[in-house]
Amino acid sequence: MSAIIQATNIHRRFGEGALETHVLKGIDFSADEGEFVAIMGKSGAGKSTLMYQLSILDEPSEGTVLIGDTEISSFSEQDRTSFRLNTLGYIFQNYALVPDLSAAENVMLPLLMRGNSWAEALENAQKVIDSVGMEGKYNNLPAELSGGEQQRISVARAIAGKPKILFADEPTANLDSVSGQQVIDLMTKLNSDYGQTIIMVTHEREYAMGCNRIIHLEDGLVVHEERLRE
Amino acid sequence: MHILRIGLLLGWRQIQRANKWTTLLIISVMMLTFLNLIAVSGILVGLITGAEIAVREEALGDLILSEKSGEDHILETETIRRELAAYPEIQAYSVRFNGGGVLEANYKERRNLAAERDTASVQVTGIDPALEDSMSNLSTYIIDGEYLDPNEEGYILIGYYYLEEFAQQFGDIFDTVSGVSAGDTVRLTVGNVSKEFKVKGIVQSKVDQVSLNTYIPEREFRRLFGRLDRNADQIVIHMNENGSETELKNIFIENGFDDFAKIQTYDEGKPKFITDIKNTFNTLGTFIGSIGIVVASITIFIIIFINAISRRQQIGILKGIGIDRRAIEIAYVLQAAVYALIGSGLGALLTYGFLIGYFEANPIKFPFSDGILVAPPEETFIRFVVLFAVTLIAGFLPAWLIVKQNTLNSILGRK
Repeated sequence: MSAIIQATNIHRRFGEGALETHVLKGIDFSADEGEFVAIMGKSGAGKSTLMYQLSILDEPSEGTVLIGDTEISSFSEQDRTSFRLNTLGYIFQNYALVPDLSAAENVMLPLLMRGNSWAEALENAQKVIDSVGMEGKYNNLPAELSGGEQQRISVARAIAGKPKILFADEPTANLDSVSGQQVIDLMTKLNSDYGQTIIMVTHEREYAMGCNRIIHLEDGLVVHEERLRE
Repeated sequence: MHILRIGLLLGWRQIQRANKWTTLLIISVMMLTFLNLIAVSGILVGLITGAEIAVREEALGDLILSEKSGEDHILETETIRRELAAYPEIQAYSVRFNGGGVLEANYKERRNLAAERDTASVQVTGIDPALEDSMSNLSTYIIDGEYLDPNEEGYILIGYYYLEEFAQQFGDIFDTVSGVSAGDTVRLTVGNVSKEFKVKGIVQSKVDQVSLNTYIPEREFRRLFGRLDRNADQIVIHMNENGSETELKNIFIENGFDDFAKIQTYDEGKPKFITDIKNTFNTLGTFIGSIGIVVASITIFIIIFINAISRRQQIGILKGIGIDRRAIEIAYVLQAAVYALIGSGLGALLTYGFLIGYFEANPIKFPFSDGILVAPPEETFIRFVVLFAVTLIAGFLPAWLIVKQNTLNSILGRK
């Protein structure tokens, strides 16, 4: 397996001088194509900050991130947005759906942005919504869906563009255990059936048990790595 | 193209799902701004336009013939008068003789020869009562007494500005006689010639040329003023509804009328101060309207800013998932555009569908004019374009300010 993402010596500092906070202190990270990696750690360990560096939502103070063959540290804001659109998928802990758009329209957004026609985007969006078990909910507004359903639509939006890497930032944090498990099962299925590379931040070990690997962070450093399955 | 499409989708859905009362409030603000922009200057200009229409209707008509430069009167007036009957585009006309005289009242009751005489220097106009009435509807402005009878002699109409009882409301600016009403006897002196007239009626109009005038029959005027050549000072003409004064002027010139008289359309002959005041009021209205635009643009800015800042996290997420920032900005510009369009549309509907007609039927009564609402469509369109452009900028700026913020900071709600 080849590494689809390779981060080297990642540092992230906030503030300056006496107020400086050193959140990531030189992390090396890599994930292979098709791998499902969980990043775990206590609150303040730096797991979300690491994910933001890996997913190019943030720029590391030091270090490099290589996604595929692309070194993204020199990207402009516009390039980053375009790269995220075409290469990465995101699942946020608060679902992050646009409240004014229907479920289908939320999923269509990145497809339309990629230049799909309305009809193509709608057809693809409906297929993906069906695949996450939300058949017939195309026209529902987010407010008309439960938390678990919203998160599944969020997953559908993230995978609709067939991203190389899917990032999930505590996707179960706002869900009850049943809904949380459904979302985890969905992600596991994506990984096992379609070989989707997934990097997930979670603080609940039970949800990380379906992953290939768990990386444990503590105080901005990788302290332990668990390989659960090949 | 897809950026525009996504922007329109996001913007349109936001409008659709927005709180209806908030939307109504914003549209009301835009409509009132539009009305402020159109109606304030429209009423200010309408004051003058009302006066202008009155001067045209009651005094000068559509086409004015007056003495040529270097001449005292219109030459060959009788020939011109005969010719006018042959022009079907003329609805009515009046031949006027003008001069100045001294009007004296209460002289019969005057016992003390040392006391000041009750006199006023007046403008005297000799008219054919029937022609003048068909031209200016002068008889409808009689507030006391009756209009001149073409078959009678020895009667005079007096404009109410010459009567102290009426004129004192304007201060001491007019030369007046006192206590005169219809049926009284007055004396008109021109040079060394005096003649007694019975006051047939008092004329009240908002047009100075009418209210600051006295009217006597043309025959008596000529005798009193020694104008035996019958050459008049002014011929005013009203056109038929479909007639064009410019075309008639050209025909008059082709037919040699300009050898005898200066020919002017109303626009050429109207007093310059009317145009000057109109332009001044228009500028004033635009200035007041501009303040309205500034207020509206600030309102739109605040509304869009609050809207955008309350959706800051959502904007961050949209950027996070790869939506181009321009699409997000378009969404907010679209909202501002829709508010401006609907507000202006309603304002235009109200203006052209109701207000203009209402003020025509119920003009605002001012001392010098019956004010109407004037809103030429081309000027309205220009003002709308200005309002629309300013609104778009007011919609874009706050969106731009929020969208340009760091994506992750927006997502996490960090400053």
